[in-house]
Amino acid sequence: MAISSLVFLAVVLGATGLFAYKASILFRLAKATKGPVWSGNRMDRLAERVETFFTNVLFQKAVLKKKKAGLMHVAIFWGFMIITIETMELFAYELFPGFSLSFIGESAYATLRLIQELFTLLVLSGVGYAFYRRLVLRPEGLGKSTDAIIILSLTSGLMLALLAMRSFHILAEPNDNNAVMFASMWISGIWQSLGVTPEVASTMAAGFRWFHHLLVLGFMVYIPSSKHLHVLTAAPNTFFRKLETPKGMRKVNLEAEDATSFGAGKISDLSWKDTLDLYACTECGRCQDACPAWNTQKPLSPKALVHDLKDSLYENKLALLSGKTDEVKPILGSKITDDVIWACTSCRACESACPVFIEQTDKIYEIRRNMVLMESRFPAELQTVFKNIENNFSPWAMSPDERDKWTEGLEVRTMAQIAASGEQVEYLFWVGCAGSFDDRSKKVSKALVSILKKSGIKFAILGKEEKCTGDPARRAGNEYLAQTLIQENVNVLNNYGVKKVVTACPHCFNALKNEWKDFGIELEVIHHTQLIAELIRSGKIKPTKAVDEKVTYHDSCYIGRWNNEYNAPRTILASVPQLKVNEIEQNKSNGMCCGAGGSRMWMEEHIGTRINVKRTEQLLEAKAGVVAANCPFCITMLTDGIKTKELTDKVRVMDVAEIVDQATV
Amino acid sequence: MATVLIYAEHKEGKVKKVTHELISEANRAGAESVVFVAGQGLDAVNKELGEMGAKRVIAAQGDAVKFYSNEAYGKLFVDAVKSTNPSVILIPATAQGKDLAPRIAALLGVGLASDCTKIQIDGEKLKATRPIYAGKAVADVEFVGPKPYMATVRPNALSVGAASPGASAAVTALSLDTGALKSTVKDVVRGATAKLDVTEANIVVSGGRAMKNSENFAILEKLSEVLPNSAVGASRAAVDAGYRPHSYQVGQTGKVVSPTLYIACGISGAIQHLAGMRTSKIIVAINKDPEAPIFQVADYGIVGDLFEVVPLLTEEFKKALG
Repeated sequence: MAISSLVFLAVVLGATGLFAYKASILFRLAKATKGPVWSGNRMDRLAERVETFFTNVLFQKAVLKKKKAGLMHVAIFWGFMIITIETMELFAYELFPGFSLSFIGESAYATLRLIQELFTLLVLSGVGYAFYRRLVLRPEGLGKSTDAIIILSLTSGLMLALLAMRSFHILAEPNDNNAVMFASMWISGIWQSLGVTPEVASTMAAGFRWFHHLLVLGFMVYIPSSKHLHVLTAAPNTFFRKLETPKGMRKVNLEAEDATSFGAGKISDLSWKDTLDLYACTECGRCQDACPAWNTQKPLSPKALVHDLKDSLYENKLALLSGKTDEVKPILGSKITDDVIWACTSCRACESACPVFIEQTDKIYEIRRNMVLMESRFPAELQTVFKNIENNFSPWAMSPDERDKWTEGLEVRTMAQIAASGEQVEYLFWVGCAGSFDDRSKKVSKALVSILKKSGIKFAILGKEEKCTGDPARRAGNEYLAQTLIQENVNVLNNYGVKKVVTACPHCFNALKNEWKDFGIELEVIHHTQLIAELIRSGKIKPTKAVDEKVTYHDSCYIGRWNNEYNAPRTILASVPQLKVNEIEQNKSNGMCCGAGGSRMWMEEHIGTRINVKRTEQLLEAKAGVVAANCPFCITMLTDGIKTKELTDKVRVMDVAEIVDQATV
Repeated sequence: MATVLIYAEHKEGKVKKVTHELISEANRAGAESVVFVAGQGLDAVNKELGEMGAKRVIAAQGDAVKFYSNEAYGKLFVDAVKSTNPSVILIPATAQGKDLAPRIAALLGVGLASDCTKIQIDGEKLKATRPIYAGKAVADVEFVGPKPYMATVRPNALSVGAASPGASAAVTALSLDTGALKSTVKDVVRGATAKLDVTEANIVVSGGRAMKNSENFAILEKLSEVLPNSAVGASRAAVDAGYRPHSYQVGQTGKVVSPTLYIACGISGAIQHLAGMRTSKIIVAINKDPEAPIFQVADYGIVGDLFEVVPLLTEEFKKALG
């Protein structure tokens, strides 16, 4: 073996060793985070996992949700995939001089060369745009990053080294087949005109080849300690992603006798999937751009949270690797503060925007759990909510005896009455606390009752037997209280053998649909907009009366992003005669939260500007007289926003059910 | 005769009514009422305690006990227990009493029935009635184990006996070994608002978003000045709009109030607000919108412009209350 080959081999082995060492630390750290795996089974449904790998890794679907930056990424991503073939070829050439892939056939090899040449230029233009974006456009979400500049410089260095190498090579060893490398060919013309001799060109080609080798190896060693780590972790993170959008909060086993702590207080309380999430983040800032808290000057940025959790992981490296979890420092500190954790509205805009499927909200809510269950550390306002739920079974201190008072004069029957009469009903109408006690929401409950009666569907309510779902407590970290309420409710439902539930509250909907199965009940849960859409489709109700209004629709987070239902409410609105729908830009999965989710409904908003006002301003862009909504909390928040804007006499907030009730006879 | 040791709470030279209630109860039961009191300048207080029917007063005076402190008062009280050997200890279920009683119980190693609404002293025995489950049920409790038996009793739960002007109690002085204390209270700084807190007021006048700006709250202040023992509150909307500081907010995320009279001015009555004031005894609502949900909970509703109605009310109250 030639001396140069031996030197090269030594360099490759050295760099690979260094890389393997750094990567093994990351791997061991992920293994050391052994908290409860709330991520669930991530090795099931392999076919779907392979499919999502193809669509979202190879075909970059999620990345392309953002057009320009997405295309830029596709160019660089695919460029690297293709050019790695050439890199490998060059490595082999260095070890075994004279090696070439030309054995695949002359025309095939020429095609490969052409493709590589094209992708080299694509990567360069991609990187060029990336530089332009970072240095000139400077979108807020990206932030300043020296790391990014180093990576972009390395990437462009690699491409330029290849072009230079090829161009000198063309001059050193002229060959007709070289014509396919049109750009390199053109550059070699410049060298020729400058009088570069083939001997000099040969040396220069070797020089740039080595330069390229060193850059590749340097890049490899640099990756594990940079945000560019995503080139290794984004693919597995996509593979191990949560496959479907709807999800519930993890049920904590409060009875576990060996549990010393609940929720996530320390980085070691997280699971390997969470650590992989942290590794997969490339700080593109899409989550931050989408975050309602960040956009109203709260200290929470999902991107910063992930970054700071990663810092916490690295800072506790020694303790984690030596298995001394006692010595791992708490997550909450100077960077991740209480205000960061309580600012979240659980709207999942961050998760919806993330191109690598990081699950940000789960981490926040596990941290809340730890704060509440282990340290009794939460905003003072929540004390009232917890107390009310405990004593009155509703977040407001309303008397449980008055839960069914709204039905006076409506002839709504309760499950108890149905059971006593031996009859059957199709649906249980789960009214919820807002629908039962809040004067505004009571009107929605009444509208839904009116629609159900018009359609002839048999239904009943639980009446005084209904209790808060515990969701406000659960989202506020009080798992213990929430589980008490859930179990009591589940027992009542099981007692009546309830199978199908309709509800007008998205928060109740999500809890019943996606969370209560952990508590021993399987329910078919349907949101009232879904039921109404179905009733219209099947002709059981007919919106025949014109509603001469211009309306814009506000997607609630728990029907939209949490449960992927964007169409039902829209088909309903489209079926109402004369109703004109003006959509705003920030709708469907890009819709902004009203500010009430994640138990924010029950907390003061002391920091920054008001989320509900910002959302109202977006909705007012539609210049509609009616804002249609599907959630009691959205209705409260948006009505408040409209009051703040002093537009109460021009714009009203209506539930979709109220519009339908008005349009049907 | 059994001895009942009572903790006296006083402020600015006046004994709080609840202390009188406790003394009367002890006397009604035929026990010897001994009152413990600490503070500075206690002559007037001691005299008042005598008139309230206390047989003996154990007074700890001086700079060291000028301000209430859980540690110092607790230590003194335990000394008083040792010297009087009571069979029953009664402490008001006030902020101070709730802070002090558990410490004394722990120091003495005895049981404590907290927040009682009724007590029955029978010879050396004590029975107490206390609300449980947030007032949904009441429990009767009896003491077993070592004496003394301790209870904290809610203000206004027991009736006061007639005062006997001129009566006096034998006063014994008690001194404190300040060297053993781990902490001393140097000063008590009052909150920025010297005015009555909305939760303490007997009458609350609240304004909503319809107040339009902070200056307009002056008309509510004027009404409040006329009404005795009253305070001005605000809805969340008014606080959010910056008309009032958060400490005035009544509602789910603010203060929960239960005054005898609540006057809601320009408040629509969203559930978030109702959650903070619906247990008020009498609710008066003033609102332009007859459909406003506040009228659902109001005992008296005035449909009209608050800027006209409130000044009229102020004038009328002025005349009526002289």
